[in-house]
Amino acid sequence: MLIAALRKELLLQWRSRAQFMAVFVFGAAALLLFSFAVGPVAEMLRQFSAGFLWLGLLLSSTLTLAESFHAEMENRALEGLLLLPANPRALYYGKAIANWLQLILLGIALVPVMVILYDAGTTRVGSLIIVIALGTAGLSAPGTLYAAMTAQVRSKQTLLPLLLFPLIVPALLASVKATSLIILGDPMNQSSAWIILLVAFDAIYWSLCGLLFGRVVEE
Amino acid sequence: MKRNLFWLAIALLAAAVYFGLLVTIGDQYLHADLSLGLPVVARTLVAFLGGLAAVVILLIADDFSNLSRPKALGIAGVVFLLIGSYFGLFVAPPEQFMGETQRIMYVHVPTAWFALVAMTLAFAAAVVFLFGGNHEWDARLEASIEVGVVLAFLLCCQGAIWAKPTWGVWWDWDPRLTTTAVLLFAFLGILALRKFVDDPHRRAMWSAVATIIAYVDVPIVYFSVKWWNSLHQQQSSPNTVSKPFWIPLRANAFGILLLMMAFIMLRSRITALRLKHELAPPPALDEAELGEAV
Amino acid sequence: MNGVVTGGWNFVVAAYSVTGLVLLIYGVTIITRLRDEISRAAKER
Repeated sequence: MLIAALRKELLLQWRSRAQFMAVFVFGAAALLLFSFAVGPVAEMLRQFSAGFLWLGLLLSSTLTLAESFHAEMENRALEGLLLLPANPRALYYGKAIANWLQLILLGIALVPVMVILYDAGTTRVGSLIIVIALGTAGLSAPGTLYAAMTAQVRSKQTLLPLLLFPLIVPALLASVKATSLIILGDPMNQSSAWIILLVAFDAIYWSLCGLLFGRVVEE
Repeated sequence: MKRNLFWLAIALLAAAVYFGLLVTIGDQYLHADLSLGLPVVARTLVAFLGGLAAVVILLIADDFSNLSRPKALGIAGVVFLLIGSYFGLFVAPPEQFMGETQRIMYVHVPTAWFALVAMTLAFAAAVVFLFGGNHEWDARLEASIEVGVVLAFLLCCQGAIWAKPTWGVWWDWDPRLTTTAVLLFAFLGILALRKFVDDPHRRAMWSAVATIIAYVDVPIVYFSVKWWNSLHQQQSSPNTVSKPFWIPLRANAFGILLLMMAFIMLRSRITALRLKHELAPPPALDEAELGEAV
Repeated sequence: MNGVVTGGWNFVVAAYSVTGLVLLIYGVTIITRLRDEISRAAKER
């Protein structure tokens, strides 16, 4: 049931890949704007590159997450899906995983932009991908839940970030720190603490949101 | 049943005030031993647990029918705050390093305690609602969140006013205060969510879910900010209060406890009245609703 | 930081005033809203 839900989500996302391009351009534009805000001082930009990457990713994620329930809302398909003997939990995890994969791709796509704009390259690509995966997982779990809620109300564009941003502060802090250590160097090996925090955050919210999702979509 | 519970809560509060505050006043100013043989640790425990138990019982026992009880609690709260502030401003001596700014602690620390208590009451109300579906608990949820938001906002203001003379900056990224700021935004978001959802069942369900998610985050935010900050600053916490300073602290604590409960009880009545109106459909609408569902 | 913090009275007064004001204003808004809600409920009956 989960596989079916996931396959459906991935198919939907593949069909709307133009939308992914648009979100990527939005993210890249955000990274550009950050450099204008700070000024063309190469060393400073490099110091803050991890922060800019994750802020850009966070802002873009609100677009991705909001879009993920768009299809359901268009045809009131959300109610239709729930009338099938399908588990709301399968629906949730299918969407959350699909969103997660899309955000990982987005993160990886934004890395070259970061490298060029901020001179923030690194050879530790594997570690970077792991941090991106863990950080975006932290965004996707509560983000998918809140997207389900806010898709059904007015003023959805404001409510989703308003609810999500305070919540994911630990994931943001940890992701930025871990990424920063990868780019700028980690002499005292601090990144393991941040990775553990990310893993804990993801574990807690992937289970909690899955448990509570049924209540969000029940009638 | 409810009436007896209310007086039980009052009795617990009286015991808390006696062992937590009056004994210390007797000790310091009347040179009389009022402790009834109870050692310091036990007295503090009684005061602490008695106060918390009273808060919980008052919340559960409140059936939204009576206005004079919360008002009485509120007035009692104001009295305690006036007594505590008088002691804090004019009687307690200035501290060794913090000077006069120590006096800010006598309002700051109690506000911190009860901002957290209010959020915890909100969490409890959310859980109770999810299990029982009783909209009374949705009313209590909205009230606790709003009161918690006000206390958290107040906490941030007090924190900034304390930080400026002490550290020279308005905000010093202290983990507790930063967590409070994040909490403030999280719960403001939940209040905003409530404004935009018209269906009362959904509104209650969603706020309960959002409250649980936000509250679970509190310790995580605290630890992450603490680690994030620890690499840069090693400061003493604005908190340690030693014995001669107990009286204003505890008097203000009881004051804020009573005022918080008064606010929560009165605020729940507002939501309860609104819910009564929303949950009882006027006869003329029934046909239109049926048409909608088909 | 070593040494005594001086000149704190202004901030102490500010802190206590802010506390009093916020609590007072919030209390007033609650009572006002409650009164409105009660009179609205009474009108319905």
